[in-house]
Amino acid sequence: MTNKKIKKVFIEGPITPSFIADAIAKHNTKKDIGAHSIFLGQVRNDILNGKEVKAINYTAYNEMAEEKFHEIREIAFEKYSLTCMHIYHSLGGVNSGEISLFVFTSSKHRKDAMEACTFIVNRIKEEVPIWGKEIFEDESYIWKQNTP
Amino acid sequence: MKIKILAFGIIADIVGKSEWTIENIQQTDDLKKHLENLYPRLKSMKYAIAVNLVITSGNFELTDGAILALMPPFSGG
Repeated sequence: MTNKKIKKVFIEGPITPSFIADAIAKHNTKKDIGAHSIFLGQVRNDILNGKEVKAINYTAYNEMAEEKFHEIREIAFEKYSLTCMHIYHSLGGVNSGEISLFVFTSSKHRKDAMEACTFIVNRIKEEVPIWGKEIFEDESYIWKQNTP
Repeated sequence: MKIKILAFGIIADIVGKSEWTIENIQQTDDLKKHLENLYPRLKSMKYAIAVNLVITSGNFELTDGAILALMPPFSGG
């Protein structure tokens, strides 16, 4: 662990389109950036045993998750030539059709931003202790399983 | 010797709680055995154990005041 400040990643509830638009707008002063890459994870209304998923409720081992996010950031900055990077993940309830993960990488040229974005999303899914509970219309639920 | 245990996701559902303390457990294998006796469903489950925020592998020696987390496969994103 470096002593760099740990950035806030978790957002209570869905990540709104206006939050994402603001995040993009904030980069208009950073004129050495030539490419942004954005990944948005959206809650899908999967049908499981004939029932439709209406929301996912996210919980996390916050302390460990924050460390992991920090670690992933540091590795991505080392591995790719990035101007900046932002990661946001929802906690609590997010309805189907809403955004729960927002990864935003920026670089001079597109290759770094695009590859870093994919790298970060994969690492988040594999390494960050977050659990999604898929909730159906009748309030029953199952614990989500990520596809590799 | 006291160990604080945190349970997440489906494991918290199975054990019916998300945080408790336990005494007289020295190693992670002992804890697994103890919990699997109490909650047989855990036997067929895949889960990782973190001690003081670090994921352990094999049988891990516990120290007094350790915080141990029972973590089923992650499903963020």
